[in-house]
Amino acid sequence: MSEDTWTPRRNKSLLDPRTKLLLIFVEAVLVLATTGGDRLFAFRVVFAILPFLLLLTAKRYMTCIVGLLVLGSIYFLEYTLFPYANGALASILLIIIMIINRFLPAYLTGVYVVGTTTVSEFKAAMDKLHMPDALTIPMCVMFRLFPTIREENASIRAAMKIRGIRFGGGKAGKMLEYRVVPMITCTAKIGEELSASALTRGLGKQKKRTNICHIGFGWADWAFFLLVAATVIYWILGVLA
Amino acid sequence: MSKQESGNKLSGRDFINIGIYTAIYFVIAMALAMTGLIPIFLILLSSTIGIIGGIPFMLFLTKVKKPGMILIMSLIMGILMFVTGMTWMPIPFSILTGIIAELVYWSGGYKSMRSAVLAAGVFPLWSCGNYLPLFLQREQYFAGRTSYGQEYIDAVMKFTPNWMFFALLIATFVCGIIGGLLGKALLKKHFERAGIA
Amino acid sequence: MIEFENVSFTYEATPGQKSLRDFSLSINDGECILITGPSGCGKSTLLRLLNGLIPEFYSGETEGSIKIDGNEIQGSRIEDQAGRIGTVFQNPRSQFFNVDTTSELAFGPENLGLSEGEILDRIGQTVKAFHIGALMDRSIFELSGGEKQKIACASVDVLAPGIILLDEPSANLDYEAAENLRELILCWKNAGKTILIAEHRINYIWDLADRVVIMENGVLTKEIQRDEIGRFTEEDATRYGLRCLERIDPTSLVKAGKEAAEQNRKDNTIILKNFRYSYDKRQELYSIPEMKIRKGKVTAIVGANGAGKTTFLESICSIRKNNGIMEMDGIAYSGKKRIGMIFMVMQDVNHQLFTESVLDEVLISQRSENEEEAKKILSDVGLAGFSDRHPMSLSGGQKQRLALACAIASKLPILLLDEPTSGLDLLQMHAVAEILNRLKEEGRTVITVTHDSEFIECCCDDVIRMEEAQHET
Repeated sequence: MSEDTWTPRRNKSLLDPRTKLLLIFVEAVLVLATTGGDRLFAFRVVFAILPFLLLLTAKRYMTCIVGLLVLGSIYFLEYTLFPYANGALASILLIIIMIINRFLPAYLTGVYVVGTTTVSEFKAAMDKLHMPDALTIPMCVMFRLFPTIREENASIRAAMKIRGIRFGGGKAGKMLEYRVVPMITCTAKIGEELSASALTRGLGKQKKRTNICHIGFGWADWAFFLLVAATVIYWILGVLA
Repeated sequence: MSKQESGNKLSGRDFINIGIYTAIYFVIAMALAMTGLIPIFLILLSSTIGIIGGIPFMLFLTKVKKPGMILIMSLIMGILMFVTGMTWMPIPFSILTGIIAELVYWSGGYKSMRSAVLAAGVFPLWSCGNYLPLFLQREQYFAGRTSYGQEYIDAVMKFTPNWMFFALLIATFVCGIIGGLLGKALLKKHFERAGIA
Repeated sequence: MIEFENVSFTYEATPGQKSLRDFSLSINDGECILITGPSGCGKSTLLRLLNGLIPEFYSGETEGSIKIDGNEIQGSRIEDQAGRIGTVFQNPRSQFFNVDTTSELAFGPENLGLSEGEILDRIGQTVKAFHIGALMDRSIFELSGGEKQKIACASVDVLAPGIILLDEPSANLDYEAAENLRELILCWKNAGKTILIAEHRINYIWDLADRVVIMENGVLTKEIQRDEIGRFTEEDATRYGLRCLERIDPTSLVKAGKEAAEQNRKDNTIILKNFRYSYDKRQELYSIPEMKIRKGKVTAIVGANGAGKTTFLESICSIRKNNGIMEMDGIAYSGKKRIGMIFMVMQDVNHQLFTESVLDEVLISQRSENEEEAKKILSDVGLAGFSDRHPMSLSGGQKQRLALACAIASKLPILLLDEPTSGLDLLQMHAVAEILNRLKEEGRTVITVTHDSEFIECCCDDVIRMEEAQHET
């Protein structure tokens, strides 16, 4: 790319950020909370598979494979081991199967959404949904700070390693203080500076912000809406019947 | 720190402060949740969040001078739980607990240390919202699983009786108070002297 | 036109100590003013009064009047100055609100509610003026410090402010990045902006300034006009406690410690073998087949980029996994064996301070706690009266010296320093150099990464250039 020119890029991910929020909601309601019972079983299967497909479109192959392996081993447990287990073991197995079965698709959806949404896309979506700044700004700051906290943690861990030997012996209880307090102090300081820098560039000055980030619905979004609509209609028909 | 008398309306800086401390709080909560893979820790999770989370929360309270900041933080935790797949139930629950925590700190004029510690006790109750689906929707879940046999279902029900939820609430509140006191001690020991409180 | 009239300011945190005393100065439109002076002289306070960080972030007592174009600015909110006053801060890591560069540039104009077309136009202009096309659409977490500072300047530029404030913008930059920053400031100067730069490191902008203001203890001690700047000598600078005026590329100072080491007996040398690091298979950050370091000397490592040098130090003290071997006294030490032999002072000292008091910090560094010795070390590094202070409440220079005190207390034979003089004034830089000279006398080996030519001349025996990595693509 030339040093002197720049053309705005338009590479949005498959789904609009608002669609992704709906996706999370549907996953939570349908798969995790198993609303609708047996009648919606087929739909539930579709929505359980959906996160895997989306991860593929986002080129998150590793996550997808690991997810499939976990799910596979859970089904293996459920159909081979569980019928022969009894007592406490069976109860524990049941809980594990129940939790992973329900949580995995929702969790993978979360991974997909967080991994494919940029802060500006998120901000644009929140603005379009008329969410108040009181929610939008803190959440943007959070997304900004997560990688920083990771960096800070790594540096603190390294610094402890250099001096680590001295912390041994009777001071094991102090480990928490030495880890958590510097992390909070460093992050709070960075946050303070970030805050100063953002305010000098007019954050919060205008009631109405503009946004150069383009979001909008594409074919994939509409396809997803159709799927959700079909699910809802089928479910309502069942309730009425 | 600010001397500006800009009334009770939250400013850009307040929003950023909410973001900073919610980020720290969330990272700590997630680090603790990693231990939740072992089922027994899953039950203890809300209590440990109460204790360790008390440290950043007490520091956060030193930045809170206007109504609304605690509620927003609580609501964001609820929303993040929703995003990470804990169903929608944590959202209304976090609003409820957030309002209570807000009222507690408000009653102390946003500066009383006693109210601060009490608020630190109430605040982590949001994390109990994560357990709600386990209690409220059990029958619904098991309805489709009669093939497992009634005795298994009874066993699971025995592990999670309804009074357990209230026991969790109380345990979390107590641990939150402990966390608040711990946070207060660290405020005096570190944050105030380091000039960030 | 900016006018300070009899301005005094006292921080709430330090009552009874005026950071600005009866300060008056007027600055014409389009002037480029360099404000300098020892740490705590009040130069940052001046900028904070202008951009509104006082009183929003730093409360205190203000007297006098500060006017911009005839209007009193006290009482206006920080946000309201956006678009009129732009500020570039010291720490490149903390100035970003977004995680990608393009959003960061758009951030300011978006807040002002400019239209999309206008924003894109402005970004285009800034990219062109600053030559930063290659930095667009990148994650800020993969940029170097110098690149981050460029983006920080660019994100101020898109707001097209008439007044630009820079608060120690080069404190965390190496020689080359400071040269790049100079270009950007020149760009602003040519565009007719009013520029105020508060700096310790004055050499990279010395000849750009229209006027230099030297301060001490909150008072203006000397004002140097355009035509006098050329006549101001290094001796004058030293007299006012300023850093050197001449720009010296640290790589030009490379002294051949190599031959000297080879003539010496082997037991006087530490040999670092086979240190290399790469992000991925194709791109190597650095590769050092062999490097000889004289024992009991201070060796400076210069050249290459900051990330490479820092990673190299991290590999030596093996907080970063590597296959490098260190040979000393005929023994070869692999990564694991080096743990507990080497002390490293990181560039951001904040990460290294854990305890609640300065004294405790030294005590936990000792093999066995010895309060008397710890106090002696503290007074040696000039922190005698600070025993009970919280380490994080110290100034940058004091933190640096505290970290060095911990290194002394650890009694470890090898000490690594990463840019120990960044953001330090002359006095503090000399203090650090003095400590290193003393460590040398004790027979310890010091390896420091630095871009500070003045510092190198003060205390470094050998200067080794680390080669820029070869990019095989």
